[in-house]
Amino acid sequence: MSMKQKRASLFVVLTMLTSLLAACGGNNNNGGNAPAPANDGAASNNGAAVNGEAAADGEKKLEKVELTWYLLGDAHKDQDKVVAEFNKMLSKDLNATIKLNFTTWNDWQTKYNLLLTSGEKVDMIFASSWSDYYKLAKQGAFLDLKDLLPQYAPTTWGNVPKQDWESVTVAGGIYAVPNTNAEYTPDGFVYREDWRKELNLPEFTDVNSIEAYLDAVKTQKKVTPINGAAYENVQRLFRTWYDFQPIGSDVIGATSYDAPRDIQVIPFTAQFEEWVKRMKTWADKGYWNKNALSSKQEAGDFIKTGQGAYYWRNPSSAGGFINEITAKQLKMEIGYFPFTRFHNYVIPTLPIANGMAIPKSSKNPERSLMVLDKLRNDSAYFNLLTYGIEGTHWAKGEDDKTIVIPAPGVDLNKTPRYDIASWGWRYEPNMKGEKGGWAGLDKLKEEFKPISKPDIFGPIYMDYEPVKAELAAVNQVFEQYGKPLMLGLTSNVDASLMTYRDKLKAAGIEKVLEYVKTEANKYYDEKGIQ
Amino acid sequence: MTGKHGLMRELSRNKTMFLMIAPTLIFFIVFSYVPMVGIYYAFTKFDFEGGLFGSEFIGFENFRFLFESGLLWNLTKNTVLYNLAFLIIGNVMQLVCAIFLSQLPGKLFKKSAQSVMFLPYFLSWVLVGAFVFNLFSDLGVVNTVLKQLGMQPYDFYIQTAPWKYIIVFFSVWKGLGYGTVIYLAAIMSISDELYEAARIDGANIFQQIRRITLPLLKPTFILLILFSLGGILKGQFDLFYQIIGSNGMLYDATDIIDTYVFRSLTVNFDIGMGTAAGLYQSFFGFILIMSVNTIIKKTREDYALF
Repeated sequence: MSMKQKRASLFVVLTMLTSLLAACGGNNNNGGNAPAPANDGAASNNGAAVNGEAAADGEKKLEKVELTWYLLGDAHKDQDKVVAEFNKMLSKDLNATIKLNFTTWNDWQTKYNLLLTSGEKVDMIFASSWSDYYKLAKQGAFLDLKDLLPQYAPTTWGNVPKQDWESVTVAGGIYAVPNTNAEYTPDGFVYREDWRKELNLPEFTDVNSIEAYLDAVKTQKKVTPINGAAYENVQRLFRTWYDFQPIGSDVIGATSYDAPRDIQVIPFTAQFEEWVKRMKTWADKGYWNKNALSSKQEAGDFIKTGQGAYYWRNPSSAGGFINEITAKQLKMEIGYFPFTRFHNYVIPTLPIANGMAIPKSSKNPERSLMVLDKLRNDSAYFNLLTYGIEGTHWAKGEDDKTIVIPAPGVDLNKTPRYDIASWGWRYEPNMKGEKGGWAGLDKLKEEFKPISKPDIFGPIYMDYEPVKAELAAVNQVFEQYGKPLMLGLTSNVDASLMTYRDKLKAAGIEKVLEYVKTEANKYYDEKGIQ
Repeated sequence: MTGKHGLMRELSRNKTMFLMIAPTLIFFIVFSYVPMVGIYYAFTKFDFEGGLFGSEFIGFENFRFLFESGLLWNLTKNTVLYNLAFLIIGNVMQLVCAIFLSQLPGKLFKKSAQSVMFLPYFLSWVLVGAFVFNLFSDLGVVNTVLKQLGMQPYDFYIQTAPWKYIIVFFSVWKGLGYGTVIYLAAIMSISDELYEAARIDGANIFQQIRRITLPLLKPTFILLILFSLGGILKGQFDLFYQIIGSNGMLYDATDIIDTYVFRSLTVNFDIGMGTAAGLYQSFFGFILIMSVNTIIKKTREDYALF
C-alpha cells in the first residue's frame, strides 16, 4: 500500500465526513452545550433605563422596536397575512411590530423549556400551570411584572380581578398575566351518538354503560372503538372513575377530592389492581389495538373516518370537534359525556391555566406589555389575532357577540379554521361565540356552575429538587411498565403488576411520595384545607 | 530549541500554510472547543438567575440518576451492541455493494442503481418510523399478508424479539448508499495498472478482488471504523425514538442511553442532568477511541488515526 494511496483514501473519507459534520452542525441541539449568556445584569439595567425614559419623555416618543412573541402549537396557513395586518395597526399605535413564533405541538414541552433556558431573546411567551408556570416562576425564568403592570398595562391591571393576580403571585412577584375567562375543562369523551341509539344502548352513567357501548361497537359495528393512541383515553377514565386526584404526575395522587391529605402511590392501591385486571379483558376483546402505545394517530381522527368511536375531550375541545364534524358535513351524530357526572362536581380552571409571561431575556418588556394591553382590551386587535381576518376567517353574526365561521363564500377545505393557541390573552368581554356552534357547551356550563368546587391540587408547587434522581427513575418505570399495564397489553396481569410495583419501589417511589406529601400539606396548612 | 522561539520561527517561516489552515482551526475552536465550557452544567444546579457560572456547584449529584436506576449497564450494553452491529454490518454491506457496483458493466444501470441506493439516506427518520409502523402494526402490510395466507397474525408491537433485526435492518438500509459512495471512491482511486497486470498473469475477477481491491480498501475500512468508534456510546436517538416511540413493551430490547435520558427528563426538565448524561457518553467514547488507537498504533502504525 503506497503512501499516496493512503492519502487519497484518507482525503476522500475526510471530505465526506466533513460535509456530514457541517450538515449536522446546524441543528446540534445537545442541550447543555450552548453557553447561556449571563443576561441577568442586562435585563435589570434595561428596566432602570426604561423607567427613567418613560418618566422623562412621557408616552409620546417611542423608539421603533420589533418584539419576538412565542406561542405554543402550530401557526395557521395564513399566519403571515394576519400578523402583517396586526403589525400595520401596531406600528401606527405603538411604533412596534411583533414576530409571532410557534413551538408546534410536536415536542412542545422540550422546545418551550429550551427557549427559556437557552436565553434566547423572547419578549412574550405563553405561560400556564400546565406548562410549569409555578415552577419556572420560582426558578426565575420570567420577569417580575408587578411594578411594570400599572404603568404599561393599566387597563389590564384594572380589569383582571384581584384574586386572579393573587393566584399568579409567586414569592411576592407577579410573573404572568393570566387570562380572564373562567372555564371548566373536566375530562369526558366524544362518541357516536347515532350508533348508541341504533344499537339500543342506555345513556352513559358509569363504566359499565361505557363498556357496553365499546362492546357493541366492537362486536356489532366491527369497529375498534378506541383506535390509534389509546393511553390517555383509558388513563383519564380510570382516574375520574375512582376520583383519584393526581398531584404532579400520574403515579402519585390524593384518593379523592374530599380526602386531599390521603396521598398515595396510585399503582399500589386496590382500585388500580381492580382496574388493570378489567383493562386486560378490554384489551383482549379488542377495544383498542395491540399497537396502541406506538400509534401516533389521535383516536379522534379515526372517528372522522368512521373507524373509531371514543375520544377523550374536555367540553370546549369537544365543541371544536363537533363543530368540525358539522362543518365538514360528515354523516354522523356525535355526543359528549363529561366524567364529572361520576362524582357530581367539577373543578374550574386556574386563572393561569392560560396566560402570557415575559422571559428574563426580554429586551423590551415594557413595550411588550403595552402590546399585550392593547391586544387584550382593544377589540380590533383582539379579533384579528384571535379569530383571524374578518371576511376571510370569520364574519360578523347577528349581534356583537357572535361570529360566523366560515365567512360566506369561503371554503373551509381551502382556508381552514383560524385556531391558533390564542388562549393566553383571552378576555371574556371581547370573546365571541360561534353561530351554529355546538349548543351542548352552554348547557354544560349551566350544569357545571352549581357543582363547582375550587381547585386545591393545581397550585401545589413542586420542583422535585431533593428527589429529582428518584423522580427520573420513577418516570422511567412508569413509561416502561405502567403504560402497558394500563392498556392490558401484558400477557400476565398479576405478574406484571407485581413487577411494576417492585420496580417503583426500587426506583425510590417512597421518597418521592414523602416529598409530595410534605409539599401538599404545606400548601393545605397555608390555605386551611383539611 | 526553546518552545516559544521555535513556534515563532515556525510561524514566520510557514506563514501561508498557517493562514490556509486558520479557517479550519477557528471553526473547530468556535464550534467545538468553546462550547465545551457547557460541560460545567453537569456539575451545577441550574437556575435562571445565575446562568452557567452563577449556578450552585453540586459535584456529581446530577450523575446520580444514571447510576441509581440500576439500568445503566443494560442501557450501555444495548447502545454499544446496537452501534457495533450498525458499524460492522453496515460497513461490510457497503463494501460489498461498492465492489459489486465497481465491477458492473454499463454506465446507466450502475448510475441508477447507485441513486436508488442513495435515496433512503435523504429520508427523515420520522418518515421511516411511519413506514415501519405501517409494515408491522395490527393492520399493517405484514399482518395482512399473514392473514391472507391463513396464518396467525403476529403482534410485533408487544414482542421484543423481532426488533433487534428490524432496527439493524433499517439503519443499514438507510446508510447503505452513503457509505457505498465512500468505498466506491476509494476503489476508483486504485490504479488500473494493478488490475491489468493481474489479468495478464491470469487472475480471474474474484482473485482480483481478493488480492487487489480488498487489501487496498483496508485503510479506508479501518479509518471509517475508527471514526465511528468515538460515537459508539452515542445512540442514534432519531432512529430509536421514531421507530419505537413510547412503547414500554419493547424497551428491554430497544432502550439506549439517549432514549432513556430523554424519557427520564422530559417530565422534569433539568439541564444539569441532561448534560451529565451527555458527558458520560462523551467521556467513555473518548476513552474508547484513545485506547483503540493506541492498540492500533502499537500493532500497525500505518493505520492509526493520530
